[in-house]
Amino acid sequence: MLEAIFLLPFAAGIVAFILPAQLGRALLVCTAIGHLVLGLMGWTGRLTPAYNQFFAGSPEGLLILMVTSFIFTCIALYSFSYVKETEISQKRVFNGCMLFFLGTMSMVTVSEHPLVLWIAIEATTLVSAPLIYIHRSQKALEATWKYVLICSVGIALALLGSFFVTLALDIVDTHQPLSFTMLNELAVQLDPVWLRVGFLFIVIGFGTKMGLAPMHTWLPDAHSEAPSPASALLSGALLNCAFLGIYKAHVLMVNAGLGDFSGNMLVVFGLISMVVGGVFILGQSDYKRMLAYSSIENMGIIAVGVGIGGLGLYGAFIHLIHHSLIKSSLFLSAGNILLGFGTKQVRQVGGIIRHMPKTFVTFFSGFVGIAGLPPFGLFVSEFMIIVAAVRAERYLGVAIFIAALVLVVGGAGRVVMGMSFNDSTETIAVRETFLRLIPAYTLLLASVVLCVWIPESLYTTILNSIQAIGGIHG
Amino acid sequence: MINILEVILVLILLTVLLSLGSTRLMALVRIMVLQGVLVSLIPLFLKSHEILTFGSVVFYLAMVIIKGILIPALLYRAVKHVSIQREIEPFVGYHASIVAGLAVLLAAVFMANSLKLTLPEGRELILVCAVTTMASGFFLMLARKKAITQVIGYLMLENGIYLIGNALTQHHHNLYIVEFGVLLDLLVAVMVMGIILNNINHAFDDVDTTLLGQLKD
Amino acid sequence: MISFLSLVLALLAAPLYPGIILKVKAFFAGKKGPPLLIKYYTLLKLLQKGSVYSTSSSFVFTLGPVVSFAAAIFPLCFFPFAGSASLVSFYGDVVLLFYIMGIGRFFTVVAALDTASPFEGMGAAREVFFSTLAELAIFAILILFYRLTGSLSLNDYFHGENIITLAGVSGALIVLVIVALFMVLLTENSRVPVDDPATHLELTMIHEVMILDHSGPDLALIELGAFYKLFFYAAFIIQLIFPFTAPFSILNMLLFFILMALVYVAVGVIESIMARFKMDLVPKFILTSFALVFFAVILTMGVLQ
Repeated sequence: MLEAIFLLPFAAGIVAFILPAQLGRALLVCTAIGHLVLGLMGWTGRLTPAYNQFFAGSPEGLLILMVTSFIFTCIALYSFSYVKETEISQKRVFNGCMLFFLGTMSMVTVSEHPLVLWIAIEATTLVSAPLIYIHRSQKALEATWKYVLICSVGIALALLGSFFVTLALDIVDTHQPLSFTMLNELAVQLDPVWLRVGFLFIVIGFGTKMGLAPMHTWLPDAHSEAPSPASALLSGALLNCAFLGIYKAHVLMVNAGLGDFSGNMLVVFGLISMVVGGVFILGQSDYKRMLAYSSIENMGIIAVGVGIGGLGLYGAFIHLIHHSLIKSSLFLSAGNILLGFGTKQVRQVGGIIRHMPKTFVTFFSGFVGIAGLPPFGLFVSEFMIIVAAVRAERYLGVAIFIAALVLVVGGAGRVVMGMSFNDSTETIAVRETFLRLIPAYTLLLASVVLCVWIPESLYTTILNSIQAIGGIHG
Repeated sequence: MINILEVILVLILLTVLLSLGSTRLMALVRIMVLQGVLVSLIPLFLKSHEILTFGSVVFYLAMVIIKGILIPALLYRAVKHVSIQREIEPFVGYHASIVAGLAVLLAAVFMANSLKLTLPEGRELILVCAVTTMASGFFLMLARKKAITQVIGYLMLENGIYLIGNALTQHHHNLYIVEFGVLLDLLVAVMVMGIILNNINHAFDDVDTTLLGQLKD
Repeated sequence: MISFLSLVLALLAAPLYPGIILKVKAFFAGKKGPPLLIKYYTLLKLLQKGSVYSTSSSFVFTLGPVVSFAAAIFPLCFFPFAGSASLVSFYGDVVLLFYIMGIGRFFTVVAALDTASPFEGMGAAREVFFSTLAELAIFAILILFYRLTGSLSLNDYFHGENIITLAGVSGALIVLVIVALFMVLLTENSRVPVDDPATHLELTMIHEVMILDHSGPDLALIELGAFYKLFFYAAFIIQLIFPFTAPFSILNMLLFFILMALVYVAVGVIESIMARFKMDLVPKFILTSFALVFFAVILTMGVLQ
């Protein structure tokens, strides 16, 4: 039963609201492992959906599910140790909402009905808002307010887009139940006007949630104010889920013969996001905000890759996997630094290499990875997308793409170098511990491994995901 | 005889216009109550909903209760709770707001006419009405300072989407998922925003969103 | 003959209705209120008195009440009460009669300015400003009616088979018109929330302050003119709400006068539960009424042909 993938975290989440916080954290880890096992079973096709009108295991969905599950396991281990050191250690809300968050995200990945997908994404907003507000400061409140308001409006527009797509199906007047499979089969008959309008709203709507500029304004605030494990989850998993919504709509558009329209739109939004991310990273004074802007930039890269298609599409999926791994690792390192120095301000942090040498390794290699340097996977994926863009003769796009990458490396480099090597007289409040380091290392290691050796099944899954819209050579 | 569906739609347009021009918080809330009830009445008068099943009746009732009773009650509570200043405090003046409402309606009619969209029989007025409601809700969110007016703008946007969802799509594709989705959306709005409104009041002694301006680059 | 009879009936009954407003207000205040016929008594009392004229005022001052009274009676002659034909009717009469009402207002204003009292000048300025805005709404209504019927005559709107009413083809739009027209009624006749006829401070007045210096029969004419004006707008609304399609009968006439009372009750209720707007919010109120009609006009261009 495929639905177990999201029912398990829901059930565990309810239990976590009852259990004391300490036990709840243990439950977090146990559920994560259980979820990983279920995810693997789904991956190998051992789970069949009970309600196949609403749920199905699509290759792109399972891919994102596995990434989410793996990251969540690492984050659960990390928060077991992290939360104890903060003032939220006694809050059951944290455990419960983390589990609900996992459940809703899993639901996104296995949904087959456009409106179920929409409901699941909407639910992620609902359950993650308490995570952002958990510190209960004025700034946290502001961040939550922006998050809920902007995302709700965005998601409401996505609902409108879904209605328009449904309407396009109504006009064909079949009495088949609505599902993504059905839409793709009938794609050629659908009314192109409604499809275009629908896609526009879906991109704007889910794009808000995915952090595409100019709808990204909630993202830096939310990532900066949420506790680090939640930030890692927001950046590494939630953004992917929103991307899944856009990707499914894009597949439909390509099948309906409107691939140029949707692809160009994604490229434009992607490039805008990259530039915005790059510009705001320059001179950033808060290192968690810097990571958030880097997420915006990377989501832009993914959108550009999907928009270009072919090799770029393959690159986009590779990018998605590696970005999730590296970025969540970086947020976990940032959490350690925040514990150690007690501030998010770049200027007040210095000499990590001396004070927290092990965290330095993860933080600095994370930076190397996010900057797109080997041996991490983002190097490969960005290279692929650039090659695909050059092949498609989109030279202006390539120029902007590379310029934005340079901006990000420069901006992030200045911050990371300063934090790592500057002199500092600060004393370290909380020492680094094994349990808070191992998840960050694991995530980075996974990225390195996947860069040099892609398992056969992963390779075929990615190929299957992009098969519908022309595959790697399209 | 009187075409009730059209009358309700026109009344919804009326509430939209009045909400753009209203200067008092309480008046705005009352207008929203009226709009919520009117919008939830729409499905009753649509031709494609002649067959009333048990499920549709339950969802229909739920919608009336939520839109007509629950949300107004919460809004009333919020206004009572926070309203020291009853004025709405616009960024964009009332005259400009009303003119903007006219422009939005003009654009909506133009859209319905010129796009030659293929619609199920005779639903242009619903489309016009829904687009106007949505756009005006969006406008209210941008053009008013108080947090609660933004919530109201959001609810208005939601009303417009509900209109489109109910009026333009047929039921056999959706199995009440439209209703379920909108219900969920409303719950998000009411629960989270209700909590936040209370807390904004605690943290800042007012519900003015201009106070929420510390986080920026 | 029937048209003439109904006009006479209307002219006689008009002063009765403001008494209803007073009764409603008294009811809300928990008082007994003045008798229903109070306005007749007032008129009678005023007519028995003599007028006082300031030495500094000219013939314009005496002309004001007379012209405004004539201008108030004039529209009623064109009005088809309760399904009867109008006494006078020709193509384009609505435009004329709204301008005639404008002339009446002009003379009231000129008479007020003639007194050279600063308060009256202020009231005149306000009156002119707000009426100008209200005219916008009225003419938008006329544009709408022209689009619906292709005619510019009151008789064609409310008499015959294809009348404009709530139950008609584009009935939904009439909802907007009724609301807008009611707002115009409140504005044009200086009722709450635009103006407070019962206020005691000259600074806050609009209409009342202009007629401060009139007395005796002059004041009676002005008052009566005001009753007719209110009656005209109220009748306009009633014709829109209820279709008097059947041939004229006593029953119809009776129904018409009963329904008329409802409009006045509505005015009374509004006066009881609302406060007067701040002066700077009044233009917004009138603009809203214009926007409502404009909504309807836009809709006729597109979806509701």
